[in-house]
Amino acid sequence: MIRKPLGVCLAAVLMAASAQPGSAGLRLGPQGRIVPDVEAILRTMLRAPAATDYEGTKVISTVRGRTAETVTMLESYKRLGRLRLEFLSPESVSGRLMVDDGRTSWQYEPAMHLVVEGPSFISGAGRPERAAAIARGYDVRVLGREEVIGRDTVVVSLAAGRSGSQRRLWVDEATGVPLRTEERDARGEIVFVSYFSRISYSLNLPAALFQFRRPAGARVVSFHLSGRPVASSRELLDLARSPIAVPTLLLGQYRFRDGRIAHHGAFSAVVSTYSDGIGVLTVFQTPSSRMAFPEVGVPIAFGKGSARFLDLGYFRVVLWQREGVNFAVLGTLPGTILLQAAAELGAARFR
Amino acid sequence: MTHVAASQQLSAYLDGELAAGERQAVEAHLRRCAICRRDLAELRRVKTWLGALPEVEPAPGLLADLRRVASAPVGGGALLEWLRGAVRRPAVAAAAALMALLLIALPLAKGRVDRLQAANVGVEVYVREHAVLSGTDPFADPAYLGLLIGDANVALVGQRRTPEERP
Repeated sequence: MIRKPLGVCLAAVLMAASAQPGSAGLRLGPQGRIVPDVEAILRTMLRAPAATDYEGTKVISTVRGRTAETVTMLESYKRLGRLRLEFLSPESVSGRLMVDDGRTSWQYEPAMHLVVEGPSFISGAGRPERAAAIARGYDVRVLGREEVIGRDTVVVSLAAGRSGSQRRLWVDEATGVPLRTEERDARGEIVFVSYFSRISYSLNLPAALFQFRRPAGARVVSFHLSGRPVASSRELLDLARSPIAVPTLLLGQYRFRDGRIAHHGAFSAVVSTYSDGIGVLTVFQTPSSRMAFPEVGVPIAFGKGSARFLDLGYFRVVLWQREGVNFAVLGTLPGTILLQAAAELGAARFR
Repeated sequence: MTHVAASQQLSAYLDGELAAGERQAVEAHLRRCAICRRDLAELRRVKTWLGALPEVEPAPGLLADLRRVASAPVGGGALLEWLRGAVRRPAVAAAAALMALLLIALPLAKGRVDRLQAANVGVEVYVREHAVLSGTDPFADPAYLGLLIGDANVALVGQRRTPEERP
C-alpha cells in the first residue's frame, strides 16, 4: 500500500465534504489551498459581467444527434453587456461577425454580403445577490479546483431541473469567467463543450470594438423580436386569436414570465416564456391549419398526433400536435424533463 | 464551395448554364450535402411541373373586349351587353371563367404555400427567439447563443448552413 502524506488525505476528505450541496464556509483544495463554497464562487461568477473585460479564443464542440461540430471564434466582452464574436472555423461560418452592444445585435455574413439586425442577447448586469437563490433552487456542488490554460479555476457541477447533474463549469477563481463548460446527456456522454484555449483580461477594452460599422453596399434585414411582450397569461390570452394553453406553472418551478406574438412573414406563433428565476423554457403554439408539422429532428412517441425531438446539443426542442395546434417547447433541460413539460402542456385546458 | 454558394447555383446547374469548373464544384458539394440534394430534387420537380403545363392562346377578341368593357360607363346595361357578347363568344366566356377560378384558387394555393413555408421557418423562429430570451440565464454561453442565433438568421433569409462534421 502506498502511504500518502496526512495533508493530502485531509485535503481529499475536505474536498469530498465540499462536494456536498449547499455546503458553507471555506474548504481546502488538493494543494491545501482554500476552495470557496458554492455561494462564494457563484457570487464571483454572477458579478463577472459587470466587473471584467476579456478577449480570447473559444472552441465549442456540440453533438447534435449523430452529427458533431467544432466551431472556433474570437470572443471579446466588455463590461455591462457588450460582446463581439468573430467566427474563425469551420468554413461554413468563417468570417461571420456578431456585435452586440447590449441593446442591438448585428450579424454580418460575408458570403451573402448581408447584415442581420436584431435584439441584444446579452445580459450585462452583475447580479451576485442571485447566488443564494441559485444555491437553494439548484443542485450546485463545488467539486474542487483545477488549472485551466494556466489559471486557477473552481469546478462547479450544476443540475438543472430534477434530473441529476448535467453541467460542469470551470470558473476562473479570480475573475468569475467560466473558462470551460461541459454538458452531459442522461447516459453521461458529453454533448456540449465550450472552452477558452486562450484568454486575456483587460481593465478596459476599446469601445470601438463593440460598435458595428455596416460594410459598404451590404444588404440589411431586421429581425427584431416581434410583438409587444405582455406580463400576464390573461393578457396573452387576449392577444391570441385562437384557443391556447397557458398554464401559470410548469414542472413545479417554472413560472409564466411573459408572452408575445412572434411574426416572421406570414408565419406567427403565440410565445409564452417560463422561468425558474435562472433558466428559461419557451413554449410556441400555432394552429395546424396555418403551419404544416415540421419534419425536423427525430420522430418520438408522444400523445396522439405527430411528435418530434430536435437536439441542438445545448438546447433541446420537443414538437407535437394536439387538437389542431402545433406545440413546441424549448429549453436547456434534458429531453426527459422537456417531455414532462410537454405532458403538462398537453394536459392543460385550452382557453 | 460553401453551402451558401452552392445553393445559389442550383437553378443554373439544373439548367446546364454553369461552366465546367463551377458544375464540378456544385456536384462535389451535392455529394456531401443532403439539404442541397433535397433542394435540387424539389427544384427539378417544380421545373418539370411548370414545363408540363399546356400553352394557352387567348381568344382573338379577348383583349379588344376587355378594353371595351373597361372604357364603358359603369352600369347594369354595360354588364348585360358584355354578358351577351360572352354568350356569342364562348371562348371569351371560358377565359373569364378561368380568370375567376384563378382568383378563387390563388388565395387557397397561397394559404397552402404559407402553411408549408411556416413549417420551414417555424423551427428557426423558435430557436432564434428562445436563444434571445435565454440571454437572461447567467449560465448560458453567449458564444453558443450567438452561433444559434446566427444560424437561424441565415436560415430565415433563405439560406441554410450545413454543419461541417469533425471527427
